[in-house]
Amino acid sequence: MTDAIALLVVVPIVLALAPIAFGRLWDRTGWLAALLAGLAHLGLALVVAATVFSTGRFTYAVGNYRPPFGIELVADGVSATLALLVSIVTLAVVVYARRAGPDTNEFYSGLLILTAGISGVFVTGDLFNLYVFIEITGLATYALVATGRSPAAALSSLKYLLVGTIGASLYLLGVGYLYISTGTLNMADLAATIPEVGYDSPLILTGFGLIVVGLAVKAALFPLHTWQPDAYADSPDSVTAYISALVSTAAAYALFRVIYAVFTPAFDAATPFALDALVILASVSVVVGSVLAVLQSDLKRMLAYSSVAQFGLIVAGFAVANATAVTGGLIHLVGHAIMKAGLFVGVGALAGVAGGRTVDDFAGVADRAPVTSAAFAILAFALVGVPPAVGFAGKWHIVLGAVEGGRWGVAVVAVVSTLLTLAYFARVVERMYFRDAAAEPAGDADGPPVDAPATDGALASDGGSGGSGVDVDPDDDASVTPEDGDGSAPDASAVSIEAKAVVVAAAVGAVVLGLFATDLVSVFEPVLEVYFE
Amino acid sequence: MSLSLAASAIASATVLASEPSVSIPTADVPTAIPPAFVVLAVALVLPVLSRKLGHALGVLATGGVAVWALLAPAGTYLPVTFLGFDAVLFHVDAFSKLMGVIFGFIGAAAVLYSYSSEARNRQTAFALGYVGTSIGAVFAGDWLTMVFFWELMAVTSTLLVWDYGGEAVRAGFRYAIYHGLGGSLLMAAVVWHYTSVGSFLFSASDGIVAGVPAVLAAVGIGVNVGFVGLHTWLPDTYPRPHVAASVFLSVYTTKTGVYGLARAFPDGNLAIAYMGSAMALVGVVYALLQDDMRRLLSYHIQSQVGYMVAGVGVGTALATAGAFAHVFNHILYKALLFMTAGVVIARTSENRLKYLGGLGRTLPVTALAFTVAALSISGFPGFNGFVSKGMITAAAHKEHLDGIFYILLAAGVGTFMSFIKFGYYAFLKESKGSWNVRRSVTGQRVAMLSVAALCVALGLYPDALFALLPGSTADAHPFTLSHLGEGFLLAALGVAGFAALKKPLSKVGPGVDVDRVIEPLTFYGMRGLVRGVTELFAAVDRMAVGAANAAIDAAGDPYGTIRGPLGSLVGSDDDRLRDGSLRAGIATSVLLVVAVLAATLLGLL
Repeated sequence: MTDAIALLVVVPIVLALAPIAFGRLWDRTGWLAALLAGLAHLGLALVVAATVFSTGRFTYAVGNYRPPFGIELVADGVSATLALLVSIVTLAVVVYARRAGPDTNEFYSGLLILTAGISGVFVTGDLFNLYVFIEITGLATYALVATGRSPAAALSSLKYLLVGTIGASLYLLGVGYLYISTGTLNMADLAATIPEVGYDSPLILTGFGLIVVGLAVKAALFPLHTWQPDAYADSPDSVTAYISALVSTAAAYALFRVIYAVFTPAFDAATPFALDALVILASVSVVVGSVLAVLQSDLKRMLAYSSVAQFGLIVAGFAVANATAVTGGLIHLVGHAIMKAGLFVGVGALAGVAGGRTVDDFAGVADRAPVTSAAFAILAFALVGVPPAVGFAGKWHIVLGAVEGGRWGVAVVAVVSTLLTLAYFARVVERMYFRDAAAEPAGDADGPPVDAPATDGALASDGGSGGSGVDVDPDDDASVTPEDGDGSAPDASAVSIEAKAVVVAAAVGAVVLGLFATDLVSVFEPVLEVYFE
Repeated sequence: MSLSLAASAIASATVLASEPSVSIPTADVPTAIPPAFVVLAVALVLPVLSRKLGHALGVLATGGVAVWALLAPAGTYLPVTFLGFDAVLFHVDAFSKLMGVIFGFIGAAAVLYSYSSEARNRQTAFALGYVGTSIGAVFAGDWLTMVFFWELMAVTSTLLVWDYGGEAVRAGFRYAIYHGLGGSLLMAAVVWHYTSVGSFLFSASDGIVAGVPAVLAAVGIGVNVGFVGLHTWLPDTYPRPHVAASVFLSVYTTKTGVYGLARAFPDGNLAIAYMGSAMALVGVVYALLQDDMRRLLSYHIQSQVGYMVAGVGVGTALATAGAFAHVFNHILYKALLFMTAGVVIARTSENRLKYLGGLGRTLPVTALAFTVAALSISGFPGFNGFVSKGMITAAAHKEHLDGIFYILLAAGVGTFMSFIKFGYYAFLKESKGSWNVRRSVTGQRVAMLSVAALCVALGLYPDALFALLPGSTADAHPFTLSHLGEGFLLAALGVAGFAALKKPLSKVGPGVDVDRVIEPLTFYGMRGLVRGVTELFAAVDRMAVGAANAAIDAAGDPYGTIRGPLGSLVGSDDDRLRDGSLRAGIATSVLLVVAVLAATLLGLL
């Protein structure tokens, strides 16, 4: 059954070909292939997870070439959890994209290639193989960002392409330095041979610096984040949800593996500058990212800068270098993926209702899409770190670990970031719930919803998924009559049932994950025990 | 057990027990309740009693305290726990016994005088509160209790002044401010003392701890005794209230101060001795210039207290004994002087000497009492002031403190002169107008004559007082030829001086006291301070309001608020900043990556 770990990568790649091969025959091939791939991926990830949970960490030699020469895939508590995360996010985005678009075969192909790349990052045990998967991830992302089909999206994609390629190249360069000095690319093998070369070897140190900076570009730490807000803001909503949940996550995960599986805490102890610099970079990232998020009026940009801050927090957790803080970083890695994906889907869904995606556009949106708004608000507060949601569990462990490790600065930064996160989300939630819409987005003759309790009640009951007429924009939907309230017809100004389901699922997931945070800790524990023995 | 032995044993180990020819009987006295509380209880019930009954109770209570203090064996004390500290509510030794006797006796006389001077119950209640707290202060066996009663004494005496209304209210305010400051300084000294000694008890240390606490205590007590420069409240306050209130005021505050000074500096202090002699001289010079009777007497309080302070400062056994003898005697004759002045004022409604005259015939008893008191305060042989003043000057002489000695003698001449002036203008001089006044009433006469009798008795037979004194009277020989000659010489100089200076003195005004400098300084200083504080507050307020407004603006429009500064920082116009982003171009992004990489590698290698 251990082949499942290889199939995690293989299945999406193979199925990515399907839309290209059969797309001309049937328009929905892409969606179906993506759905199939997602389900298969979920099944495979469950198998891997079950194996890990029952027998512990296992490895898989690709093509039966034994490491250190062959490529090794590794599954442990962390990678199994993240593989599951990939499956879930893929399925959710596939479901969401069917209505929200871009519902094209090319999109689904790209999405599946991205899935394969990210899955590969999570399971590989080989440093060069990791580069390959990072590049697959990057290339697929550049393409997906460009599916926004706007000039801005093209420019953002180009910017991401250039900056991201430089990051990946730096990483590759670093791997090259390590290979020259040690003669191996296998992570476990490197961990054994690097001490033989010596931690103060310039080759090793340069390799470390190149790899960390390269991955920091990919993880979008300030000031290497410049590609990220544009890419997030100008992509289609489904793409944004996907890449915000997984792409930077993959880079941060790679950083975690490099720091602990390759360079090990012994290197950190021998080279204090390495982690000090990372802590400072991450802390600055948290504060500046949060401040920039507060400054934004565009909600997608706000969430993008929020990611800069949150990844700063995650990396800070990794860089504190004790088991508690790293556990917190990993929990926040998983939790952030779920919350941020849900938030981006929520923004995309609510933007249709609100008629725009700036903070002010969201005024009074809670009246028109109560369920989605409630889920959005729950996710927002989860990301702030309100118990019992998963955001709290992550931040709590990071703060606790920082205090244990004597990194008071990190603890303070984490608390400050909580306040700033509250600042930028409170602004949105306040407008959603406590402001009336400045004007009816439609400006139609039906009058404001508050004057029509009957239609209001209908809205409340179906969460605005049905086109009940009040929210219909007469310019776009003049043909839509109030009779098609069964939700079957696409309605630009209402939240689709899929979007609603995704946002609610994310909200529920964030809370449930928070409630079971101790189980998550126990899943990560054996992995970290090896690193911090 | 003979009191004298106990007294000397407790008072000072260095002093040999004196053997006065009189020994005071002792008896078992109730010790469950501190004597101060009895007086305070009477003060509390007095306003609701009839005038007669209330004042009778007041006389009984204060007189009872005098008898109690006289009979209480030395060493009687009542330890309690006060505010969580060990405290001694009363402690009878030679010092407190003397103070208790005289405070009680003069309290009784003053209450009697109040009754006859038509003082209202409320005023006498305040006065008894003042007496009670003073008695509490002098019987206190530890600093905490003493400071507690000391502060209460300031409060009750202020109330006593305020009770009269009118001009007294303003003077009372000044009085309260001075005593508030003085009390606070003393309290600071006591707290500091406690931190270094670990106990408030007098028995725990020999006086107050040297250094800062000693200075604080000296200045704090100095307000009460009227150190030169700190004394202006005294002549300002004491002439203002009711005549009977003045009698009380002239007795307790300053003398409690002298007692406190003796507790704080049992071994004396030369600076304090010089301060005392300065007080004696300055006080008498100003007294000589006064026209208002009670103001003149008030400056004499400063002058006479100066003798006592000098005695405490010199610090030898004889000087200490002299200081307390002078406390005792001074209380008698100064209360008597205020009583006579009070009778004159009450009968003539005139405060100022130059409008008086010829009262010797209309008020013969008062004139007699005044004569006794004046001769006593001036130190004429045969009267009590002669004895105690002589003890202090002799002690100073014996210590070869010639400066102090001669200053005190000069002050003695001034005292003669000013009382000759008082007597001449009030009683002897031919009156321009004719006084058609009622004579003093019986109560006043009883009070005045009994005090006057005591002045003469103690002047002729000082051994009766010596038995009560702390310190040692072994070296006190009041009636040697040289002393007597000294007394007569001073009197003669006084007469001659007054005769020579009578004309110029009547032309000179009341003199410019330090308050003419202190008060404007304080006023303008305080005004500057208040204005400075107000302006500062206003500035802070403006800043706070500005910050609050800015915060509200920022909360309402965070992007707009920060974009401005950021725009100027980046140096670009607002167009290039789109929607709050600091959008870095591709080149900038690459540059940033390179910069971070370079910094990292530099750091690592």
